[in-house]
Amino acid sequence: MDFYLGLIQIIGVHTLLGLSAYCVLLTGQVSLAQAGFFAVGAYVAGMLTVLAQWPLIPALAVAALVSGAVACAVGFPALRVKGLMLVVATVAFGEAVRLFFFNFTYQIQAGTLHLGPHGAEGFRQIRYFPENGWSTLDVVLFIWTVVALVMAGLWWLDHSRVGAVLRAVGEDELAAQSVGINITAVKVSAMTVGGFIAGIGGGIFAHYTTHIEHAQFGVVLATFAIAYPILGGLSNVFGTLLAAVFIQGFLIEGLRFMGDWRNLLFGGLIVLAMNVRPRGLLDAGTTRALRRLFAPGKERSGA
Amino acid sequence: MDLLDLIDAVQSVADGVLFGATYALLGIGFTLIFGVMHKINLSYAAASVGAAYASLLVMSVVQAPAVLVFVAAAVAGGVIGGLVYLVGFKFIPLANPLATLMSTVGLLLLIDEIIVHTTAGVPLNYPALFSDVIIEVGPFGLRGDLMFVFALGCACMTLLLLLLYRTRLGLATRAVSQQPTASLLCGISTTRVNVLTFVITGVVGGIAGAMTGAAIGMLSPLLSLPLTVKGLIVTVIGGLGSIPGAIIAGLIVGGLENAFQFFRGVSERDLYIMLLLFAFLVFRPGGIFAKSSGRD
Amino acid sequence: MRRLHAALAVLLAGSMLSLPGSALAQERTVKITGFGAKSGVVRVFGINSEAAMKAAADQINKTGGVTLGDGTKAKFTVEFLDDRCNAEEGISVVRRIASTDAFVAVGPTCSNVAESLFGILQKKVGDASDSGLQFPIIADVAAKGGLAKISEWAFRNVPSEFEMYKSLIAWIRKEHPNLKTMYGGVEKDFAHSNATYGVMKGQAEGAGLKVLGTSEWLLNDTTFSTQVRDMKRANADIVAISAHPFTTCGVLKEMARQGVKPKLLIGLTSSSSVETLQGCAKQAEGIIIPTSFAPVTPEAKLAAEQVAKFGGSADLHSAAAYEIMFILKDVIESQKIMAKPDTVKADRNKMRAGLAALKETKGLLGKVGRTADREAIKPYLYVHAKDGSWQVLYKPTL
Repeated sequence: MDFYLGLIQIIGVHTLLGLSAYCVLLTGQVSLAQAGFFAVGAYVAGMLTVLAQWPLIPALAVAALVSGAVACAVGFPALRVKGLMLVVATVAFGEAVRLFFFNFTYQIQAGTLHLGPHGAEGFRQIRYFPENGWSTLDVVLFIWTVVALVMAGLWWLDHSRVGAVLRAVGEDELAAQSVGINITAVKVSAMTVGGFIAGIGGGIFAHYTTHIEHAQFGVVLATFAIAYPILGGLSNVFGTLLAAVFIQGFLIEGLRFMGDWRNLLFGGLIVLAMNVRPRGLLDAGTTRALRRLFAPGKERSGA
Repeated sequence: MDLLDLIDAVQSVADGVLFGATYALLGIGFTLIFGVMHKINLSYAAASVGAAYASLLVMSVVQAPAVLVFVAAAVAGGVIGGLVYLVGFKFIPLANPLATLMSTVGLLLLIDEIIVHTTAGVPLNYPALFSDVIIEVGPFGLRGDLMFVFALGCACMTLLLLLLYRTRLGLATRAVSQQPTASLLCGISTTRVNVLTFVITGVVGGIAGAMTGAAIGMLSPLLSLPLTVKGLIVTVIGGLGSIPGAIIAGLIVGGLENAFQFFRGVSERDLYIMLLLFAFLVFRPGGIFAKSSGRD
Repeated sequence: MRRLHAALAVLLAGSMLSLPGSALAQERTVKITGFGAKSGVVRVFGINSEAAMKAAADQINKTGGVTLGDGTKAKFTVEFLDDRCNAEEGISVVRRIASTDAFVAVGPTCSNVAESLFGILQKKVGDASDSGLQFPIIADVAAKGGLAKISEWAFRNVPSEFEMYKSLIAWIRKEHPNLKTMYGGVEKDFAHSNATYGVMKGQAEGAGLKVLGTSEWLLNDTTFSTQVRDMKRANADIVAISAHPFTTCGVLKEMARQGVKPKLLIGLTSSSSVETLQGCAKQAEGIIIPTSFAPVTPEAKLAAEQVAKFGGSADLHSAAAYEIMFILKDVIESQKIMAKPDTVKADRNKMRAGLAALKETKGLLGKVGRTADREAIKPYLYVHAKDGSWQVLYKPTL
């Protein structure tokens, strides 16, 4: 049971990571900077609870704000370019963040222990959850409350005018510009929201793994971040959730009975999935079909 | 800074520029695929390392002189390139750049894991040519193996440019990259050009992989991620779709990397490369040889 | 639509299937689960650890197996799970093992996984306010210094690099009193090699060697010309390289090119493996590395043969996994562990207490001491690369 709860925690945090990339992808931009924002969130939240002894929720809030601010600041220069140029620019930013934490040391003495980030050796003993007696179930409930709030927020955003604007920019920038949408503002806002969400995700990540180090926040994690929404489909937030379950629950843990074949299947099945469902596991067609299944009346009146 | 330091600095940069030939070749591969298909192939550097491994496999079965390692790597690269197209691009609609981006990520992971499964992840010795030769030029020494790698890289680039600008195939390739619809109307098979582009870039990649192996003297799956990042950086600094740009950018990045290593040390080295990239993106988004101020 | 249902069903079935069942077998068996990296560049560590655990289990089973608390004899079986050297996956794997009747787990390979894993364990035994996992783990490979002190449920059977390099440098001072200067090389972005270099440098300075400088590079670097040129200019008597096989070989090859020939070469413990020899046997010739394993005793020879039979190779890391199986057998017998589904909690406590109470264990090279903070003090020797293989140079008497 504990194992499944632990897995659900991981899926929750990775859903947050995926959702942060989802916001940016809606505007048609592929950002590999999400791992960088995630790292900022992880270090800020970790330092606040361990060094400043803050409770978790305000620490996460500050982590999210800091990451959001960093995303906003990096969005202005980076979002001047798009396509491959943006991919590379954001890889460069993500690597720069990682290298920053690689060089970052800030430790205080607490009894015989040295606490805080210590360059290449990482930042250990972020034990807020166990020290405050949170059970695995408590952590699961906490994480999923956050995930549900974020998903609800994004769902609402998606169905409001803001969502339409975001998607308009994603579909056709020129057309969006010609109806008077300020493209830069829209893209940078999306990036900021993405950074904010990644900051929360990173903050929680630091606390359930108890140790963070620069190597965890590399290009691979950034690739995972965009993999969730792309694999899941961009038609709504549940695609990202589904993809997080698919990758963490099925490809990583579910295929364990395959032994050594699991690692080969990991990459292979992602390729296969993209060949079979190029618009994502949960694309617009599937969403419509599902809606018809659960609310047939509403669909007919809407059509 | 005294004279000795200056000599060392120049020497470091020279070594870096020579090694930069491998970055240049990888940059060319990324840029060609992007030019023709307007797609990013993230599995490219991993495939190149894979081709170098495949050449080792060939060499262990057939007893042949070390030169043939490069030929074997080129052939293997071409085959892997064709396979990458078939598995990662052929069946995915062109209008869906995100799907192919993801499929190449899948391929990157798959190729890496195949290498790891066949070698247990253990680094392997890679044959180097002229590794005992050091050419003395005044106070400087140029590594024979790096010179060979550099010359080979230059030869590849020349051949590639000839292929693109002096043959009908090259004409068709450029036509598809500039005006896909019009070239289709002129009777050029887009699929054929796409496949050939992947095979040709695969060959180039295979040689780049073998060159990397020869220059370090080792192969490890550790190489594929950093080479992917370096290749992408070179592509962007050189300007998307520009082969001469990719060549110059490759050599510059190679040289600067060693210069930053020399002056600022290892912890900050890569940070400066990233800053350089940012500067290019902001001030010269079109790359080194950009004519207009177009930003894409 | 139906397709979607089917897909969901497969998905669920997949995740269910993979939780190991706890069906009771006819003959009593005790399953010991190991975990570590079996994918990525560190795959070879996982392969070796798994082979070593299976070899040791086979050896124990051949001589009658293990006696459980109720006096019945049981056989060991070994299962090994892959954590891809990833902290989250390592945590998942341990939670999975802790969801079964297992009373101990052996692993992991990577220090970064161990850091996270030991962090989720309860810090102090009996501390009711700490909700950390109460499950004993004993590590065979993860080598970064001082990891076990993170939790009282964490144990290690890895050599103390501090002791090894201290002794090596003292030996060098005694044997080669004419060597006065040292130059270092370190793989800067890898916690283990970085920390070990600190030990090497500190010991060298403490022993009166003059450290002229340090070259630094990263785990996946490809050119070393600048770093080696600094090394050449310093022209030190001794060069100490704290790096894993890939960059150790890269640097050694560059040293050969530039003609850097120190009078003595020291390497990182983890590089005293077949990997270094496969990568650069010629250039590595003469490098001296302290290690806690070499087939020099009858037990060690037998272990090396056994491990090879199970498809791995015995080195200082997998030898630790081999020894751990014997340690577990002794603790099961001395603590009268029942290994029954309804005694899981008690068994885990007994296992922890048993491991913590150990003052000394039997190692392949001789007696292994245990410290109060749950680490091992292992006998060691110095090996050097000679004619393409690792040969024993000197065995200190402890």
